[in-house]
Amino acid sequence: MSKVNIKIDGKEIEAKEGQTILEVAEENGIEIPTLCYHEQLSQTTSCYLCMVKDKKSGNYIPSCSSDIADGMDIEATSDDIFEMRKTTLDLLLSEHSGDCEAPCTLACPAGIQIEEYLRAARKGDFLETLKIIKEKLPLPMSIGRICPRFCEEDCRRNVIDEEAVNINDVKRYAADLHYEDYLEELPELTDEKVAIVGAGPAGYTAAYYLRLKGIRSDLYDKMPEPGGMLRYGIPEYRLPKDILDTELAHFDKMGGIEVNCNQELGKDIELEQLKKDYDSVLLAIGSWSSRSMHTEGEELAVGGIDYLEDLALNGWSGKDPGKTIIIGGGNTAMDCARSAVRLTDDSVNVFYRRTELQMPADDIEFEEAKEEEVNFKFLTQPVELREENGKNILTCIKMELGEKDASGRRKPIPIDGSEFEVEADTVIAAIGQNTEAPEGVPTNRWDDIEVNEENYHVQDNIFSAGDCVTGPATVVEAIGAGRQTAESIAAYLEGKEYERDYIINVSRGHWQSLTEDELVLINEPVERERAHLEYISDDKRINTFAETNKTLTEQEVIEEAERCIECSCSYKEDCQLKDYSEEYKAHPEAMVGEKVLFDYDMRHPEIIRDPGKCVRCEACIKVCKEIVNEYLLEFKDRGYYTNVGTEFGKPLPTDCTECGECIDICPVGALDWKSTKR
Amino acid sequence: MIERIKVGMASCGIAAGADEVKDFLDQKLKDREDIEILEVGCIGHCYAEPLVEVETESGSVFFENVEPTEEYLDKILEIDKESTMSFRDERTGREHLKVTKLAGRIDPVSLQEYIENGGYESLKKVAKMSPDKIVEEVKTSGLRGRGGGGFPTGLKWSFLASKEADKKILICNADEGDPGAFMDRSMMESVPHQVIEGMLIAALATGSNELFIYARAEYPLAVKNMNIAIEQVYDSDINVFDGETIDVTVKEGAGAFVCGEETAMIHSLEGNRGNPRYRPPYPTDEGYKGHPTLINNVETFANVPIIFEEGGEKYAELGTENSKGTKLFALAGDLKYAGLVEVPMGLTIGEVVYDMGGAERGEVKAVQIGGPSGGCIPAKHFDVPIDYDSLESLGAIMGSGGLIVIGSGRCMVETARYFLEFTTKESCGKCTFCRIGTKRMLETLERITSGEGTLEDIDFLEDLGPKVIDASLCGLGQTAPNPVLSTLRYFKDEYLAHVEDKHCPALQCNDLVDIYLDQEICIECGQCIKNCPVDAISDDFVVDNETCTRCNTCIEVCPVDAISRVKRGDTNE
Repeated sequence: MSKVNIKIDGKEIEAKEGQTILEVAEENGIEIPTLCYHEQLSQTTSCYLCMVKDKKSGNYIPSCSSDIADGMDIEATSDDIFEMRKTTLDLLLSEHSGDCEAPCTLACPAGIQIEEYLRAARKGDFLETLKIIKEKLPLPMSIGRICPRFCEEDCRRNVIDEEAVNINDVKRYAADLHYEDYLEELPELTDEKVAIVGAGPAGYTAAYYLRLKGIRSDLYDKMPEPGGMLRYGIPEYRLPKDILDTELAHFDKMGGIEVNCNQELGKDIELEQLKKDYDSVLLAIGSWSSRSMHTEGEELAVGGIDYLEDLALNGWSGKDPGKTIIIGGGNTAMDCARSAVRLTDDSVNVFYRRTELQMPADDIEFEEAKEEEVNFKFLTQPVELREENGKNILTCIKMELGEKDASGRRKPIPIDGSEFEVEADTVIAAIGQNTEAPEGVPTNRWDDIEVNEENYHVQDNIFSAGDCVTGPATVVEAIGAGRQTAESIAAYLEGKEYERDYIINVSRGHWQSLTEDELVLINEPVERERAHLEYISDDKRINTFAETNKTLTEQEVIEEAERCIECSCSYKEDCQLKDYSEEYKAHPEAMVGEKVLFDYDMRHPEIIRDPGKCVRCEACIKVCKEIVNEYLLEFKDRGYYTNVGTEFGKPLPTDCTECGECIDICPVGALDWKSTKR
Repeated sequence: MIERIKVGMASCGIAAGADEVKDFLDQKLKDREDIEILEVGCIGHCYAEPLVEVETESGSVFFENVEPTEEYLDKILEIDKESTMSFRDERTGREHLKVTKLAGRIDPVSLQEYIENGGYESLKKVAKMSPDKIVEEVKTSGLRGRGGGGFPTGLKWSFLASKEADKKILICNADEGDPGAFMDRSMMESVPHQVIEGMLIAALATGSNELFIYARAEYPLAVKNMNIAIEQVYDSDINVFDGETIDVTVKEGAGAFVCGEETAMIHSLEGNRGNPRYRPPYPTDEGYKGHPTLINNVETFANVPIIFEEGGEKYAELGTENSKGTKLFALAGDLKYAGLVEVPMGLTIGEVVYDMGGAERGEVKAVQIGGPSGGCIPAKHFDVPIDYDSLESLGAIMGSGGLIVIGSGRCMVETARYFLEFTTKESCGKCTFCRIGTKRMLETLERITSGEGTLEDIDFLEDLGPKVIDASLCGLGQTAPNPVLSTLRYFKDEYLAHVEDKHCPALQCNDLVDIYLDQEICIECGQCIKNCPVDAISDDFVVDNETCTRCNTCIEVCPVDAISRVKRGDTNE
């Protein structure tokens, strides 16, 4: 065969006549993406992802089908080519139906592979469950108790019976069962060392993931014991401290993580010194200073977080607060109120300036507070606090809701002349906390530490994460940030710029917009009500700080995990459309238009056909026809509604199980084994 | 003295009621043995259908828009000069009837009549020539493919002629699918033998031994006439050369527009889904069932006998430097005289539209040439000559010959949307850009015509359109954005009006229009109220634009023109 000389990306190449541009490029290490080309099949030329430019004519040509010719000058890598390929992928994504990732995982601030750990739990493999969780979250015993469950808000199970899978209680069970006996594989320690100021959730999480990369860290904390808000902000009845102790002890077992308590930044340790002594410094100091009510006499009130801290330092005991008024509607207000309930027989009252609907506290906290007989008064704002005869007199004003403010909530407006007075022994102001950033560290307009949002970098070798960056938020969010920061610091130590992975997600939509018919269910959903935790007796709940509820049983956990309907794509690990889209920065919403709701075909016992995912590359049709010598698949309809169907719409024959060529060749999982979800 | 009465019975005639006229004449004149009543094809003056030609010893007269009544019968029998049709000089002075000279003049399914009028003479000549000579003659004529691409026919033939193969295939592309185009149909219905003669000449030139006519199944009369003509050819051994029979078969397509693309057509002929494939290999190398294959359009083949009738050099005298001979155009749209015209290459668009078609100057915005694959040409460029290169320089194409006149009352965005909707539906669905890209463009146009468009939408069309052209495999995708891009090029102000002012300047886009009843003019006859299908007009003659569906019925029935379409919201003036 005669030789042909061509140029690809300026590289002179001698190739064999009759080869395609794509083949020659591949042989010479020039990568060209394609979805429809397969060596063993006849040319299809449909996806147009493999486009290159013929520099002589200026035309874009599909490299998979174009034979080389002597003197050809091909551009396979350039901004123009990148843009064309991105457009190809934008187009394909705009018609693609499916769920790259399960909605629960997407909702989780830590990014835990929830569907996967539920599947392991369903099989009774709780060690595997824990392993999957700890890939993203090192404090599962705590989070298994206190997580606000963003995942469950987005859980598609809601479409079936309006009750999300009880995800977090599965986590709690697996963590309680195996946390102490699971030790992850640990690489040898390197010489690099990071100082972490603040031994709370963000700090511990960063230390954990740095350790998994072999990087040592020293944690410094101003409090006498580590744990941060987990210890001093979250009451014992929600998170028993012996559980926290067990959890934190694991970090000591790992080696390479040192915890130094009673070390306050600016007093006992100095930032400048840490910067010099360590390769990097992470500020994870939290948001600990109670926010002002801007009310006359506010010094007579105790700050919410200060109240909890005092109780914590006293081993969750304290004096009877008497009649108590808590100002605020967040989780700290609930924690204060419910703690006060446990210490007094007098009334405990929460005053909030907006309505119940707008209250930021988690629903479960609000519900449990009401069960524990906390009283709520809405649309009530304090205007003055004074002391008379050893009693606090709180003057309040009634509010009404006006127009929406910047937060999107309707703004409360005082009603003239509606002032009234109430008497209280204790007034707790739980209206939020501020960050006290160390001197010299840049802050934003909320006084939180200013970081580069991409990589959590502050300046020099300083990074920061957690509440001190976001303002008071949830523990699970601090954990998510802690892990990302560990990645960023590790990259920094290697001298690299940390770039977050560009990850795309195609979604069928939020459960509230979906009907059961629109779900793709490989397994028939089990009919079962959601499992609920058993509470301790009411008497114990109101009078002691004992944990309010008990972990589910093994049987309950397995049955609960079976309620998961497994939303994510069966092919997500291997999907070429996803991989290329991420490589070429394509986006599912770059072009928006009609998505066809094709019926998925579950009739074969082992194979699922989901035409909504199909990219019409024809590979399945051709492999069946040209290699297997069967004619079981074919194109149907025309234009935008073209889809791959079966011969006369019949189910695929059962003996397709022995072949599976079409499944192997499908780039996107439009044909897949059902067993991936079993 | 009447010798024959010919009734135009091509599809255009039948649609206008020619079969009733024919039945009526048959019935009334059944005792007149001296008068022969004949069904003929189309002479191109479709606006005048039903059209009756009366042959007398002193020549022919024509009657237009004939009705099956005694009154018309009397006029015909008396050859009432007052009532005969006069052919306008504006048209007759410009057209050049070569390819269509027999169309509508002879009985389409009479071999004898075709032969009497010089038919199959060219084939006889060619049968004595060497294949090389035949190809040379076609090259000399300068004939280029009339299907749209404009590839030199002689050159294409030479590719197939040079192939060594036991079997060579010739396909006549009769899958005419453009909205508004009917040149091929008319030729097949009116002069099927002329098409077959052209094909047989091509077969001799290229050594082809299996001939197909791939026709739309939606053309029943064309298919019928072609089949009758083929039977006559077999019966008379016209297709037998040196004892070898050249087979000719009509294959009916299933109605997919993309099957007009040659590789898709071959797949369809083979019994597969009509999806195109990448070229090369070109069909002349690897075509129908792997055999070398040549595909020419109906009109191209119909030109071939003319070339050999007068000689290639003579043929090449007509036309412009790179475009020789004549071109058939199917005139449709906003003009007075719709029909089929045959014009010499080089005539200007204006001459065709205004003079031949009778469109009113000042009332035409543009023409759409080349159907959904073509582009619009604004009236200001109507002085451009019709030839392959000039049209391409304006962003349009010669196409197969559809020429749609767009009057000033039409919205160009809606026009683009209409054509794109057609191609989007007709995409085979294989290539990403054609399947999804055209759909996303169509959705964008729908947003614009419904008043929900943004400036970003216009940018989107301008960005994606060229990409669809660049990244589609076949002609369908490569040309589908043309109507959008050419209207954006020449009528961007209309797009901007839809987007920025939510105004359709032509008052065509229903979502941007209200219906206004001017009570000053209204005579309160109540016709509008009576005819409104949705009861949107109140007893005191006010239109409820919320209920109104903009069906225009009230405007049509109003005897005093008191009701009109106005810009949305402009109902208070």
